[in-house]
Formats: sequence, C-alpha cells, structure tokens
Amino acid sequence: MSIVLPLLVDGLAEAALIFFVAVGLTLVFSVLRILNVAHGSFYSIGAYVAVLLGTWVIGRGYAPALTFLSMLLAAALVAVVLGPAIERSFVRWTYGRPEAVQILVTFALFLIFEDLQKLAFGVQPYSQDAPMQLLGVSSIAGVVYLNYSIALIVLAVAVAAGLRLLLARTRFGKLVTAVVADREVAQTLGINTERVFVSAFTLGVFLAALGGALASATSGVAPGLGAEAIVLGFAVAAIGGLGQIEGALLAAVIVGISRVVAIYFMPELQPVAPYLVMLTVLLVRPFGLFGSPAMRRL
Amino acid sequence: MLEMRSVRVVRGGFAVLRDIDLSLESGRTTLLVGRNGAGKTTTLRAIMGLLPIEAGELAYDGADLRRMRAHARAALGIGYAPEDRRLIPEFTVEDNLLLPSLALRLSAKQARERLRMIYDLLPELPALRARLGGHLSGGQGKIVALGRALMVGTRLVLLDEPFQGLAPALAHSYAETLARVRAERRDLTLLVTESGPQLLEALVDVKLQIERGRIDSLAPARSDAAESAP
Repeated sequence: MSIVLPLLVDGLAEAALIFFVAVGLTLVFSVLRILNVAHGSFYSIGAYVAVLLGTWVIGRGYAPALTFLSMLLAAALVAVVLGPAIERSFVRWTYGRPEAVQILVTFALFLIFEDLQKLAFGVQPYSQDAPMQLLGVSSIAGVVYLNYSIALIVLAVAVAAGLRLLLARTRFGKLVTAVVADREVAQTLGINTERVFVSAFTLGVFLAALGGALASATSGVAPGLGAEAIVLGFAVAAIGGLGQIEGALLAAVIVGISRVVAIYFMPELQPVAPYLVMLTVLLVRPFGLFGSPAMRRL
Repeated sequence: MLEMRSVRVVRGGFAVLRDIDLSLESGRTTLLVGRNGAGKTTTLRAIMGLLPIEAGELAYDGADLRRMRAHARAALGIGYAPEDRRLIPEFTVEDNLLLPSLALRLSAKQARERLRMIYDLLPELPALRARLGGHLSGGQGKIVALGRALMVGTRLVLLDEPFQGLAPALAHSYAETLARVRAERRDLTLLVTESGPQLLEALVDVKLQIERGRIDSLAPARSDAAESAP
C-alpha cells in the first residue's frame, strides 16, 4: 500500500510532461488536419533553449527563481520564432494533400531539426535543474517527494482547464471551434482560416516547447529526447482519440502510470508499456477512448 | 452590384461552369433554376470564393472579387447559406448567429443591432436561442442558417436550394419567411438557387436558367418586375 502514492506521483508527473506534447499534437490535428511528426522537435528545442537560458540566468548570478520565468520564456521564444515560420513555409504546403505526404514532409522536418540540434549542441547531455532544486522536497509518511513533480501535475491540469476555457470563452477559441467543425462555412462567416491555422499551430508549438522546458529541469536534455516525445505523444493522442483534449489528459495519465508501474514491477517492460496500452485500447476502441469516426470537434 | 463575366470553373479536369454571365442588380431577387449538376451550387460557391475561378471576371461594386479570399468577401457584406445548413453543432443558436460578428470584429453595439434585426425578421429564432446547433430539426436549422447568412450579408445574400429537404408545409412557411425578409429589407440583393422554383414565383424579379455550366435564358419572372425595384 505504501508504494501507491509514490507511484501515483511519479506516474502523474510523467503524464503531465507527455500531456503537453500530446495536447498540442491533438490541437494541431483538429484545426489543421495534419499529423505533425516535427512536433517532437519543438519539445527538445524547448528543452535546449530552457537549459541555455536557465544556465545563463544562474551564471549571471541572477536570482535562481528567475529560472521559472526563463523556462516560460524559452517556450514562448520557440513558439514565436518557429511556429509561424514552419507553418507558413512547410506545413501549409501539405494541407489537403494525402496523409503520406504530410507525414513525409513533417518527418523530414523532424530529421532536419534533429541534425540541427546535434550541430548546435553536440551529443553530450545538458542539464539545468535549478528550478527542481529550488522547490525542494516534501516528506509524506516517510516517503520523500519532489515538489517539482507535484507542481508539474498541477500545471498540466491548469493547462487543460485553461485550454478548455480558451476554446469556450474567447473569440479565438470560438473561431477555432468553428474552423474545426466546418472549415469552409467558417470562411464564409468572415473567419480568416489561415490566421487561425498559424495561431493554433503556434499554440501547439508553445505547449510542446513548454513540456520540453519543464522536462529539462528533471531529466536534462540529450539527442533522442524529441523522438521519444513524439512517439509517446502520438501514442497518447491515439489512445485519447485524436482531437480530444480531455482524452489526451486521461490517456497521458494511463500511459504515465503504466510506465512507472512497469518500472517498479517489471523494468524490462517499461519501454513497451505505453504501446501495449495503446494496442489494447485501439483493439477495443479503434478511434481512441474519446474519439468517434465522424467526430470533428475539440 | 455583382457582375460575372465568362466565368469558368474547373473541377477534377471537368469544366463545371463554362461561360457564366450573371449580373445582379441592387435590391433585386434573382432566381437561378436548373437541374441537379447544372452548376447552381458551383456558381454560388465561386461567388463566395470557395472554388477557384479559372477564367473570367467577378466584380462586386467594381471591386475585383477574384483577388479576395472567402472571408474578405464575407466582410464586404456577402452572406451565404449552403444547401445543407451546416451550423456549428456545439454552439447555441445565438452563438451561431453571433459567430460572424466575432469573426468580422463588429462592435458589441453593431452585433446587438444586427441580432435584433434578425430576431425581428425571423420571429421563430428568439425561442430557439439557447438550443444547440446540433439539436435542431431540419426546418429550424434552415431558418437559423438564413439568419446567420443575414448576419453576414448586409447587402447580398446567396441562398443555395433553401427548400431542399424540407417537407411541403415547412417549405411553404420558409417561403413566407423569405417573402417577409424581402418585404422588410428592400435594400437587400438576393440570389437564390432552386430546382423546383414554384414557391418563390411571387418574390422573384429575375429568373435565370442554368444548364450544363452555362446560363441559357434571361427572362423577367414577372411583367411587373420593375415595381419591386427600390
């Protein structure tokens, strides 16, 4: 019984990071109708930029608490610099083309980004764990927990709720909902769909980069981080049902917990645990937990 | 106000519209009749900017519409109600109606005024305002789609097969609604497509026949057509 809480905290913290990737992937899929393999790159680039900024903050002798701000800044920077540029140059070109073309183009982008990251940062791992150290630990019933893990969980729930609010309550959210429901009619009502595409894509990039930035404080960053993120993100998005925010949240929890349970009880199963879950879910519900074949909504 | 000259639209290697000449006069109701596949829907979609025009001219008050994307045409006051309603299912009726005012960044005052105008014109709607777009009957949905098109189309409204899929009684009441809109909004230009045009005879000024992607005949629907001009 005493291991339930530690497993839960670890699993949920892991779920939080995967959720940031998966929810952006699912958002981009709903609005732009593309499966973006390059999404994983935004996660690892977010991690690199966060480590660089964080190390700079510490190196200059600024207050270590500023590293929280620098993580957020890193994600915003990656989103603003890469989001519109990538959407306008490469991704837009794939709209309405066969899925195979979209996946080839975005996979090519992913490979280019991987090599660019190796050119820029080499293959050695980087880390900057000041944010994690700052938050310290809590001890509950003799077990020590990282407060950072708990903060991740709270943040993921807040982001899910925030996205829901954004979609339901704001002008941007309503335009996005309309574009997802009926792209063509949306245009005839005066909605500039291209602008909605850029904004939604950039928001997706921001969420992925934020996930990477937050992850960099716990695990550091090294080549391969982006690939792991996109594969897990796809698995979670598929389990939840592509295009489903709450589905992505629940699926991230299932995958996160299955990973830590596997690590605890059967470490050799850990790498395949998410995919075993995905297989099982898709065999029973081919469109994911929350998805349906005809569904077009967020 | 709207001029189409020698417009050609190609879909899948096939010229769906071959040589469309169409001229809409301000404040008039034009009916475009023709069989299924003749090009009625394609004509409206080309005007709205949902299909690329291969050749020819499309001008609206002298401005070249071909250079504008669909949302910019909507901003000029061109409203469009597609044949199959296509409301946003997760929005309430009122949110469906207000969506264009958000998209076009109307002021709160303007949005309220347009909404009130639509509720006055279409008295069926206020009772439905809180209903979800996905939870409406076919007849209700058509009226909401008309209201939404009026929200955008302050000057020109394109209605694609408004009676399609409506039971005869509902079609009659829809025709009465349309006649009321026509009577109250004399400034509005209407272009309506229909495969069975009998219901609209009373309010049509100009009737055009489209056949195999070409407008064949130009005939005033009524001898007193001139009277209905503003």
